[in-house]
Amino acid sequence: MPDELVSESQFDLLEDGEGIEVLVKHNRQEPALLLHSHSDNSKNTVLISHGRPPWYGPDGQRTDDAFVIGVAGGSASGKTHVARQIVQKLGSIPTVIILSQDSFYKYHNEEELALAHANLLDFDHPDALDLPMFASCLADLKACKQSNIPVYSFAEHQRLDETKYLYGATIIIAEGIMALVDPALRALYDLKIFVQCDSDLMLARRIKRDLQERGRDVTGVLDQYLRYVKPSYDNFVRPTATHADIIVPGSNNSVAIDLICNHVRKQLKERANRFRQKMADPHRYLPLQAEPASENIVERLDLTILPNTRQVEGIFTILRDHTTSRQDFVFFTDRLATLLVEHALQHLPYAPKVVTTPVGVDCTGTQVDLKVPKFDNKKNASDVEADSTCATVSLRRQNHALVSRITFASKLITDTYTTDSLSGGALERGFKRVVNDAPLGSLLIQSDSKSGEPMLLQVMLPECIRLRDRAEQSWVVLLDAQIGTGAAAFMAIRILLDHGVKEERIIFVAFLVARTGGISVLKKAFPRVKIVCGAVDDHMKEGWLEGYKGEGNPEGKRTKVWVMQPGMGQISKKQCYAFDAVDFMLLFLQVIGTTYKG
Amino acid sequence: MSTTTVPHPPPPPPQPAKDSNRNTAAMKSLPPSVFTLPQTAQLEALYTIIRDKNTSRGDFLFYSDRIIRLLVEEGLNHLPVVDKTVETPTGATYHGVGFEGKICGVSILRAGEAMEAGLREVCRSVRIGKILIQRDEETTLPKLFYSKFPPDIASRYVLLLDPMLATGGSAMKAVEVLMEQGVPEERIIFINLIASPEGLSTFCSKYPSLKVITGWIDQGLNEKAYIIPGLGDFGERRQVVPQPFISCKH
Repeated sequence: MPDELVSESQFDLLEDGEGIEVLVKHNRQEPALLLHSHSDNSKNTVLISHGRPPWYGPDGQRTDDAFVIGVAGGSASGKTHVARQIVQKLGSIPTVIILSQDSFYKYHNEEELALAHANLLDFDHPDALDLPMFASCLADLKACKQSNIPVYSFAEHQRLDETKYLYGATIIIAEGIMALVDPALRALYDLKIFVQCDSDLMLARRIKRDLQERGRDVTGVLDQYLRYVKPSYDNFVRPTATHADIIVPGSNNSVAIDLICNHVRKQLKERANRFRQKMADPHRYLPLQAEPASENIVERLDLTILPNTRQVEGIFTILRDHTTSRQDFVFFTDRLATLLVEHALQHLPYAPKVVTTPVGVDCTGTQVDLKVPKFDNKKNASDVEADSTCATVSLRRQNHALVSRITFASKLITDTYTTDSLSGGALERGFKRVVNDAPLGSLLIQSDSKSGEPMLLQVMLPECIRLRDRAEQSWVVLLDAQIGTGAAAFMAIRILLDHGVKEERIIFVAFLVARTGGISVLKKAFPRVKIVCGAVDDHMKEGWLEGYKGEGNPEGKRTKVWVMQPGMGQISKKQCYAFDAVDFMLLFLQVIGTTYKG
Repeated sequence: MSTTTVPHPPPPPPQPAKDSNRNTAAMKSLPPSVFTLPQTAQLEALYTIIRDKNTSRGDFLFYSDRIIRLLVEEGLNHLPVVDKTVETPTGATYHGVGFEGKICGVSILRAGEAMEAGLREVCRSVRIGKILIQRDEETTLPKLFYSKFPPDIASRYVLLLDPMLATGGSAMKAVEVLMEQGVPEERIIFINLIASPEGLSTFCSKYPSLKVITGWIDQGLNEKAYIIPGLGDFGERRQVVPQPFISCKH
């Protein structure tokens, strides 16, 4: 089941013919994508990823931008080939996005559309492109934010209403004939490449390509070449070669590619070294003995702890008991999760509402009020409209309508490296008992077995987070079984902030928090995130917590995660089916059916 | 990133329910055996949804279930526990508590039946008994029409389920029936969603040691003995399908 989840990810190879490619080499020992089997040498390159390491420091702030490479050159000069060669040569880079300028052709009115269909529209002029949008999308991606880039259809000669969501790239390659024309774009590149190719060769390739792939005739191609392509190359494209850091031949360029890759690798290595030093792996900053567990710490942490009633204590006793059957474990985690989520939702804002009861009496009550938050939401919304040139108008309107009633959740799945248990899933059913109309997402974060760093493997977020202006108005409930080292929680919160979710609108729900674990670093970095937990543990001398700390423990001693270990792995496998409402019901009935013998 | 540089007020703390909506007079003079859920804005919002006459049946089910779950959890907190030490999977010992005593649910038909599902969600294998009490048209007094209990009910704690406590007539009749079965008064926990102050005081003066868990105390009763503002007929709004034995009575 987890494999299936992975394959559904938007991070898979998207080769949609519209010039955008997202290449992710896949996680967990499974053989990953075959990268471009049609590329000429070394076909079937298997690239294995280790996930994305932290891109932020212990203070929660981003430490580095993504590495951006701009590739320009004449039409059919071999830009795409160069870009792909770079990706292939680089090897184990977690995420590479090749962003083509073709996506950024402007929206055409009907007049232009008619011209375009008659091959009379000049697509080779810089004015045909929405370069400011190109620059803003690229700037977002470079700043590790999400971007929803436009989709352009060559068949319809028109920008489509849909957009493509991109997030989390380490390297971005922007390619296109005008890639070096715009100064705003040039300012974003860390490396500028110009692919130099002989005009004859470019024309020959262009005729061949257009005949084979685009079904044109030779006269039409030549006509277009002479009218637009050639003048454009001479006037706009070729002069930009002066801005390039390196000029690459359009064929027989393996030496040049090697040189480029060496440079990129060197740059990335420098960054990686910085990452490791500032790594957001809080338990390294907090030696276990350094801070004595005292009541003060809990108070300072500002946690919202579920009132410790007899029932809650009884439930925890059952969950911690190693003799508890898996069936009981599922049942009581669900019960605890329901209580926790109920408790957490108290932190949403409520506003008055008048209703009429069936008895015919008016009654002033309250309702969850996410639409108009306490502070100036309208101002924020207008700012967003001004900034985000990416979103199309129709989408924007839709957003405002939909935002009115979103109680929205995202699920955090933490993978321990000993098993592939998906621990956040255990809270999901409890969440669904309390909130029935929230879109669910998931994040897959796994500890790297060597460095102990958290690695981001998969991001599946609902639309209301993918779109920045909606993310800024969303409340997010993050679910995870426990906060031990806090590394996964840290990364999850960082991802949400990257998407524009406001820190004070994140509610983190966990069964257990380890008082001396990463929680204090987490709280320091993100003080306004509300953390709601079932219990806080400080019995550091007791073995189970030591094992619990072992979640990110690189030495591998006591790597078994305490009580979650026997049941949780199996639960989460079942829990995966809960994505589907029908299966969820079946599962639920199954639990009742097997236990109601009584 | 820049998000942290923008000053924002801290997140709002859990808001309390509005004073105007809480029956503060009744809340202050509650008998010691009556317990309410924490009166938060969130709970108030749940009640607002189920009070609204325009709420769909689906929403009514979902949100009343949420309240029922909280009520049952609160009710269970009044059951005794014993100290229990367990070994955790990593070999450490944990000093916790274990649940003590057998329980059973008894629903007052028909509306009380709607609360059984919520009870089962919290107590998986719970035994459930049923009582049908209806107003005798001649005497206007509550009359027992039907009852069915687990055979060992006298040795169990009983969670008595009825969503609305209006005059308290049928609830008192139900307690009477339970006590005839040998259940001591202090082992009965009466759970309801909405109570009227009148009903509460009548009920509690008759059974002072019986614990009452109520979600909300409303303003009062109207001339037809409906709870104001109330939520209408709970069973009807959940559209509980009548059981066969109900239709063949009379």
